[in-house]
This record gives sequence, C-alpha cells and structure tokens, in this order.
Amino acid sequence: MSAPATAPVDGPTDKTGDKTGGETGGETGDKTAGKTARKRYGVRGLLPVTPVVVFLLALFVVPLVRVFALSLHPVDANGYPLDGYSFVQYRRVFTESFFSEALWHSLGTALLVTVLCVLLGFPAAYALSRARQGVVRTLLFVAVVSPLLTSVVVRSYGWVVLFSANGAVNRVLVGLGLLDQPARLLTSYFVVVVSVVHVMLPFAILPLTTALGGIDDNLRRASRSLGAGPVRTFWKVTVPLSLPGIAVGATVVFPLAMGIYITPLLVGGANQPLAGLRVYSQITSVFDYPVAAALSLTLLVLTLLGVSALGTGFRFWERRLHG
Amino acid sequence: MADTSRAPRSPRALRRAGRVAAWLPAAAVFVFLLAPLAVLALSSLNSTSSLSFPPSGLSLRWYGEVLSSQDWLVSFRLSGVLVLLVVLTTVTIGTLAGYGLVRGDFPGRGVLSGLALAPLMVPEIIIALGLLYYFQGLGLVNTLPGLWLAHSLVALPFVIRTVMVSAQALDPTLERAAATLGAGRARTFLTVTLPLLRPGILAGAVFAAVTSLGEVAVSALVSGSNTTTVPVRIFSAVQFQLDPSVAAVSTLLMLASVLVLVAVDRFTNFSEVL
Repeated sequence: MSAPATAPVDGPTDKTGDKTGGETGGETGDKTAGKTARKRYGVRGLLPVTPVVVFLLALFVVPLVRVFALSLHPVDANGYPLDGYSFVQYRRVFTESFFSEALWHSLGTALLVTVLCVLLGFPAAYALSRARQGVVRTLLFVAVVSPLLTSVVVRSYGWVVLFSANGAVNRVLVGLGLLDQPARLLTSYFVVVVSVVHVMLPFAILPLTTALGGIDDNLRRASRSLGAGPVRTFWKVTVPLSLPGIAVGATVVFPLAMGIYITPLLVGGANQPLAGLRVYSQITSVFDYPVAAALSLTLLVLTLLGVSALGTGFRFWERRLHG
Repeated sequence: MADTSRAPRSPRALRRAGRVAAWLPAAAVFVFLLAPLAVLALSSLNSTSSLSFPPSGLSLRWYGEVLSSQDWLVSFRLSGVLVLLVVLTTVTIGTLAGYGLVRGDFPGRGVLSGLALAPLMVPEIIIALGLLYYFQGLGLVNTLPGLWLAHSLVALPFVIRTVMVSAQALDPTLERAAATLGAGRARTFLTVTLPLLRPGILAGAVFAAVTSLGEVAVSALVSGSNTTTVPVRIFSAVQFQLDPSVAAVSTLLMLASVLVLVAVDRFTNFSEVL
C-alpha cells in the first residue's frame, strides 16, 4: 500500500511544478546541468502514468483494503457487521469444511486446469507457429482468438447446450447404446473442468505460440543432423526452448482459474464446491459479506502463493536445463 | 509416436504418418475450441422452443423474438454505450500509462508496472466483492457510472499491456529526430509517437471493447434491474430458462465481437501485438 501511494503524491506536485516552473525547472540544488535535465525528465516521466495510478488507487487498492477491513468485522446472528475487529471470519474459513474444502478444491481444480491447458495448448500452439502465412494460419488464429473474444457466459452456455439432457453429447451416447436414457452430465466435475479449460485455453495458447515461433529452425535441424530423431528433438530442443511460453501461460491461467465462478455456476450449478462460487453465494444469497471477504482474501493469498510457486518452479527447471 | 522414436531414419511414408499423428491433437484442440460456439450458433436457428442439437428445423424466429423484446433492446443499448465509454476511458489513460511506464525514468517504475497489471492477477470474484462493497457506500450499484468504472478497471490492464508491447518496439531516435527538427513535446507525441503506437492502441481497444461487451463476473454483482447488460441478462436467463432466444442473443454477441475484431484488423496486424 505505501509504495504505490507515493506515486500520486509525486504526480500532482510534478504537474503543478510543470505549469508554474515551465522550462526554467525547479531543481536548484543540483550541481551539473546534465543531472538537472535527467532529474527533470525523470519526474516529468510520471505525468502520463498519473491518471492510471489515481484510477487504480481509487478503484482497485482502496476497495481491496476495504474488503480486508470488512473481513476483520465480527457479525451478529443475522450476519450484520458489528463494530470492532476480530479474526473470527478467518477462523470460520479455516475450520468450517464448507469453506476450507472449497479452497482446497479450487486449488486442485486450478492446478488440473493449468496442466490441461498447457498440455492441450501445446499442440495447438505448435500448429499455429508452424503454419505458413495465409488462409490456414488466419483460420487457426481466428479459432484461438474467437473464444477469447466471446463472453464467458456465451462459451459456458455453449457447453450447457452440448451437455444438457437433450444435448448432442447425450444423444450420441444414447444413440451408440452406451446409455439407456440421457444422463445428468451437467453437474459433474468432468464437465466443469472441460468448460473451465475451454475458457482458459486461449490464454495458454497465445504465449506458447509466441515462444514456439521464436525458436530458430536451425536448432531443430542441427539436432536432426546430429542424429536425434523427431521425438528426441521435440523433447530435447523444442520443449526446453518453449519453457518461457509454458511459464507465462501457466502463470496467466492459474490465477484466472482460481477465482472463476461464472462458468462453474452455469455449467455445474451453485453447489460446486469451489471457493469463488462460495464467495458468490455468500454475497448473493446469504448476504454474509464479512465471511465472503475473509474467504476471498484467503483465496487471493493462496493464488499469489501458487503463482510465485509456479514462477519459482519454472525458474528452477530452466536453470537445470541450461546447466 | 513411439514407432518413429525407435526408427529415427524411417522411410518417407512413416515420417509422413508421424507428421499426421503430430497434427491430429492440434486439430482436435481447434475443434474443441470452436465446438460450443458453433453449437450455439446452430441451435439459435431452432424452429421449436427446445434447445436440441442438431436443430429440429431451421428458422430465424428467435432472432425476431429477441429483436422485438424491449428487455433485450434496452440491454443492447446499455452494452453499446458502455463499450464506447470504456474504450474511450481505458485507451486514453492506458495509452499514456503504457507509454509512460516503458519510456519513463522515474523511481518506483517497477512497482507502478506491477500495480498497473495487478488486476489481472487478482481473482475476479475479489474485484467483484471489492467494487460491490465500495459502490454500495458511494451509491454506484445499479448505475451506469458504476458499470463504466467497473468495466474500465477490468479492461485497463489489457490496454496497458498491449501499448507497452508497442512502446517497447518503438525506436526512440525517431522521436529525437522530430525534436531536432523543431517539433515540440506535444507535437512529437501526437505526430510521431502515437502513430507508432497504433498497433498496440488498436489491439488494446479491441480487448477493452470485447471485455466490456462480455463482462459478467464483476457486472453480475454491481449491476441491477435498471442496468442489466447483455451478458448479465444472458447469465440470469441461462440459470432460469433454456430456450433458443438466449442462443440467438449469444450469437449476436459473438458477431459483435467478430465485427470489432475485423474492423480493427483492417487497420493493423492484430496477431503482431498479442
């Protein structure tokens, strides 16, 4: 909080200094002219950033701090926040299995989704990076970007239609004689994971495509000419060199998957034991804001820990590969 | 795959088989990506009120139903207004910030870059709760300004990031040349810097537009009965009713996003800045 807060303090003062001081500059204490110029440029550099800093302080930092304050409120029997501070909400989050199991379930699901996104994203990104300029490449690119451009509700709804009682999947399963009658597929964990992976996949494919496209083809050729087969070249050259892309993809997908609640809600129903959904139901149907705040902040801490663990893991892996 | 590994110098036929085997998973993934979208578009053409797939008969009646429904039209108008407001806001402040963060030389630049992209790292439900609680105090729940600010917050990091990518590729000597040739700071920025940042700005505008057009996670909490955007109306409709009119709206929303992309792609190579 304190570090970003210094910025807008610098910003406005710089702005007024710029208006009144103009070209003469205000830094009288500096000895050399060069130093003055550099310093002036430096402070002035903050000007363009100021609006965003003010915006984010007002709409991102302050609300988060207020959520933190809210999570420390005790509540009365009706869930109405009382004065004073306590850790009772956090104790509830950690001791009531309704919340704690949802946290673990979210963590496990987010990891599973991240792994699946990297595994599924790799061949797609590989195809995209190897496709020559032209119609095929454009079509593949549209296939990756169009889900990204489509609202999460729309994509989730597509899966609802596919897996609903008279949807295509049930028809095929019944038609093949694998099922006697349409099954209730929609509330299953499998369908939740499938739809969440679908929502997240483009976020993994795009950085992977960039990383794979940046690999010098001569490296693969060199590997082949030195006697390595295509599979060995793939594992020993292509995969290690695409590691930065895998790392970016994983660190983008994981936090998004940790907090997702729209897709599981639409596809799996409100009873899916995911932390994001629990927060949502606490807000919208129980109106217990303090416990929702405590649960969501615990989820945030868990997310940030997971992201930094992923980052450390990838750095370690990369260092081991490069000796 | 295992076969090719055991015989590295395999004959051409086997190598071709290996290549096909390597492309098959990719094809499957592309089908997976497009399947639910295609299914929606097709079931919106159903002539009956069931959402069966494949459709039991083709008609455009659900589109007619949607376009004559007052509720949906109000939502379409609201979403349209929001897209314009959000794109204008985020592109203006996001371009300045993205450029300033790459070019500026000031203390705390790293911290500010982190702050600028931080909303991407925070699970959406937390942003939603934070804004809901905050807006309740300010009387902004269920208002247009509230949605405008919320959408701008969610869209802003995308704009900053794409502009930063373009700013990193920008050659500073061009700006210096403009300055040497007598252009002032403002003129240099407007006539040299901005045109060079165009790909990043346009990509950011696309992201901001489609983010606002599709935002539900935060909107579901801060919007209300007077401010139901199209995706929020879909969100509640999917939970309580299943008829092809929602599929028709979804298809229209997809078309809107594609139109935004195509329009912008005419001006810039979109894939460059992703």
